[in-house]
Amino acid sequence: MISKQKKILVNSLVAMVFFGLLALAVFAILKPSNGNVQPRNDTWSEIKSRKTITIGLDDTFVPMGFRNSSGKIVGFDVDLAEKVFSNLGIKVNWQPIDWSMKETELNTGNIDALWNGYTKTPERAKQVAFSTTYHRAQLALVVKKSSGVRSFEGMSGKVLGVQTGSSGETALNNQPNVLKRYIAGQKAVGYDTFDKAFTDLNANRINGLLVDEDYARYYIKQQANPNDYDILTGPFAISDDVVAFRKGDKGLQKAVDEQLAKLTKSGYLANLEERWFGKSSQNLR
Amino acid sequence: MENVMTFLPGILSGLQMTLGVFFITIIGSIPLGILASLAMKSPYFIVRWLVNGYIWIMRGTPLLLQLIFIYYGLAMVGVPFGRFEAAAFAFIINYAAYLAEIFRGGLQSVPQGQFDAAQVLGLSKMQTFFKVILPQVVKIVVPSFGNEVVNLVKDTSLIYVIGLGDILRAGSIAAARDVTLVPYLLVGAVYLLMTAVVTIILRGSEKRLNVWR
Repeated sequence: MISKQKKILVNSLVAMVFFGLLALAVFAILKPSNGNVQPRNDTWSEIKSRKTITIGLDDTFVPMGFRNSSGKIVGFDVDLAEKVFSNLGIKVNWQPIDWSMKETELNTGNIDALWNGYTKTPERAKQVAFSTTYHRAQLALVVKKSSGVRSFEGMSGKVLGVQTGSSGETALNNQPNVLKRYIAGQKAVGYDTFDKAFTDLNANRINGLLVDEDYARYYIKQQANPNDYDILTGPFAISDDVVAFRKGDKGLQKAVDEQLAKLTKSGYLANLEERWFGKSSQNLR
Repeated sequence: MENVMTFLPGILSGLQMTLGVFFITIIGSIPLGILASLAMKSPYFIVRWLVNGYIWIMRGTPLLLQLIFIYYGLAMVGVPFGRFEAAAFAFIINYAAYLAEIFRGGLQSVPQGQFDAAQVLGLSKMQTFFKVILPQVVKIVVPSFGNEVVNLVKDTSLIYVIGLGDILRAGSIAAARDVTLVPYLLVGAVYLLMTAVVTIILRGSEKRLNVWR
């Protein structure tokens, strides 16, 4: 049997060690100016001397950045980013991330930039710094020709699908007069990825799908009968695709902006858009 | 069906990650689970209290949340884990908590008389545990342990949240790229294959252990 004194001694020792560690942990958590946006230093000189940069992407995000069937990361954004950084003498290390964690990945320093069809919004501007716009995308309503829908008004009383958290969902809610007032129940069905929404469109469980035109064209091309679909555009605001950096990374931001300006001027960017999307977006406003 | 072949390489590359997390969790969580189950029987109330608190937190919150806290949360307070290390750590401490409860059940089913008898025979505490108690506990816990192992096979898919590419993720990539559900079918088949192997191994070991029952 263990004596009472020993019990008291061991219990209090363990308790002291535990609460000491707990106090330390709480102290460590409270010390940085409450979490999310940590002001970080400019890491540009570090990146230049390392000669590599880590860029985060969602590797399911066709056609901006995704894995082809041999496992290689390809896409419009991938081609563009690799061109920009090879001009700067820097190698790109692509890091797949979970898209819902993108700003956290950036601000904790796991990645140095986000380059994957990232759209400029006022909410995001509070958390990250943007490059200049390198691509513009218009929202499109994808319908089956057989549905008879020929315009946004034609969706009245019909079921609409969107990707949860996408620019399409935001635009739908911000400009309710454009499309939202027509659809069944004034509420769209949310999907986590567009391919699932497309499956539902084919099964006639939804009648229309609001999606960036670039993705719409890509997905329709993958279908067995691409001619069965219509792409309708309307007065939705055009979204700006940008690269996201940490707020402190002014040097990196400036270098990328300079390269983007150069590639726009030389026509490289417009060519690349032709290749991936079938048309250039540089004149969209 | 030639497109099945185009999906296989991607999915098999995810298999490596899935198996990596699976084996490292099994190897790490068993000893930790045994330790925790013994600590729950500690004569010191503070040790019991701490271990019960640990098990409460691990079983009381979703593993997905634990992964997010360990990878992103700890990085914010200056403890940067690598992606794989964070996944391994989260899975080990989570599964150790479940295993601890299973082992505790096993320990409790050994009658107190055996502990007393071992003491009378002059066996040390170590000898009692390793030579008398543990062999019986192992036999008792195999079926419920197997349940956890099968769960673990499927839970490994949660690592997508910290950017690791397992087979389910590889399936989603292929599904998004080629707009088809075929990759998910393949992924399902691979999971079934893995759980079948696990089940066969566990059944086999159960039979062997039953020899001296």
